[in-house]
Amino acid sequence: MTAGLIWALCCLIVMIMLYFALGGLSEGFAKLPFMKLNPNTNGGELAQQVVMDNCTLMIRKPVFDGLLRERNKGFVQIEWKGDLPGKINDTIDYNMDSSPDFVIGIIVPENQVNLVALNPKVRDVGISTSTSYGWAARINIDK
Amino acid sequence: MDEAIKNLTMRKSFGKSMLYTLPMFLLTFILMTGGRPDFSDRSGTIALLTTFLGLNILYFLMHYTGKTDKLRAILFIVFALTLSFTLIKNTIDIRQTMTYSQGDILECNMPFCHLVIPMLILPAAFTQSIIYPGSILGGFASISAMVVLWLAASVILGRGFCSWGCFYGGWDDGFSRFRKKPAIRKISDSWKWMPFAVLLMVALTSALALTPTYCDWMCPFKAVTEFEEVTGIESAAKAGIFISLFGGFVVVLPVLTKKRTQCSYLCPLGAINTLSNKVSPFIVKIDKQICNDCYKCVQACPMFALTNDDVKKGSVSIFCTKCGKCIDACPKQAIHYGIVGVPANRMVKFSRNIFLFVSFLFIAIFASGSIITVVKSFVNLFI
Repeated sequence: MTAGLIWALCCLIVMIMLYFALGGLSEGFAKLPFMKLNPNTNGGELAQQVVMDNCTLMIRKPVFDGLLRERNKGFVQIEWKGDLPGKINDTIDYNMDSSPDFVIGIIVPENQVNLVALNPKVRDVGISTSTSYGWAARINIDK
Repeated sequence: MDEAIKNLTMRKSFGKSMLYTLPMFLLTFILMTGGRPDFSDRSGTIALLTTFLGLNILYFLMHYTGKTDKLRAILFIVFALTLSFTLIKNTIDIRQTMTYSQGDILECNMPFCHLVIPMLILPAAFTQSIIYPGSILGGFASISAMVVLWLAASVILGRGFCSWGCFYGGWDDGFSRFRKKPAIRKISDSWKWMPFAVLLMVALTSALALTPTYCDWMCPFKAVTEFEEVTGIESAAKAGIFISLFGGFVVVLPVLTKKRTQCSYLCPLGAINTLSNKVSPFIVKIDKQICNDCYKCVQACPMFALTNDDVKKGSVSIFCTKCGKCIDACPKQAIHYGIVGVPANRMVKFSRNIFLFVSFLFIAIFASGSIITVVKSFVNLFI
């Protein structure tokens, strides 16, 4: 009985303090090791950055992350930030082996994407979409 | 016996009710104003004071009338409606539409809600990362703040979170009150285990796909918050599922059964919160010395948490959301809020007072932001 009452009073105190301490608690919680976005969610780490006339091309590391081990199929996310031209046509070397892996062409106003695979591991376009910063695409690839 | 009932009545005098409301009055004022009231904005001040007074009047009435459920439901339903309005307004302000695009997902700026939590657990354990495309910290409805709020509320209130904190529960709670009597009465008790099946399914599929599958495919509340832009067959199918589930589980079935069917049959977080009832110090107790086995509480329970057998045994099941409906329905005052370890019929008023304070404070502050936003929007229409 006493334990129950003490637990209830502790909960009362915690509830009163909760909203006062919410900012600090949230910051502390955000520092926990698992509180970071999965590469499947945020597109992975930035690997290369190419500054062009009006925009910057950003190529992220290929993502193959699975629950327990890496998957055989993954994607590479590329982003164009800044003022986009009406037509984008870029040759991408995502694995940085100095040989181009694919050529991606986008007609921005019409949302048309054309992918030419130069590497047999490159499969197809997963996502191609406008964003607040410009354009982003996920190209499906094999490991 | 009548004397015992009279002594147990939860009603308080006007003065005593005011006295009990005073701490809530002060705390809500400090928390809603951030300790530094700013009355320079006229519509903001009207919205703040209206919300503040409305909340405290409800809390006062809980003490003055001795009733809980109907007063709780007013706030709970208003919370659900205003939160949906606020989310939609926020989404439209940012994106000029109620839909989100694949670009919004890639940019990871999706507002987070507590229903996602069951899908985060396995990936967080195995990959040490979060699979929801939202903001970890900062911005509107960050993952960190929402998880902290839910964790604290679940430890303290147990499944009481589902009736005192969930900003979606008010939808089916509201629709379950439309009819005086249910049109469908016979529902198998075993359906109450359904959320555990849903939990298992979404936890496993989300872990395998590393995407929140319940949000992507099953959440009925997408229909009243935001949903994926329809650009093809898949997104059209998703929109169809969201609307069908909302119509079926949140509107039609609650109206026909007078039960909160989405919360009882579908919600995977409800399954986790059912388990958190084991941690909370607050429970609903049945005093078998007073109970006359009329089973009005069983009929009243909106969550399948009470069966005739439970009443005979004198204990409420783990599915209880502590809404207070059975307590208000009992003609003998045999059911009451209690504290773990304290025998039924002992410290009844103290237990109710402390539970009401804790649960009402949580929902009042949680809900106040969206209520103020909506009231302010209405005030701006007129001044």
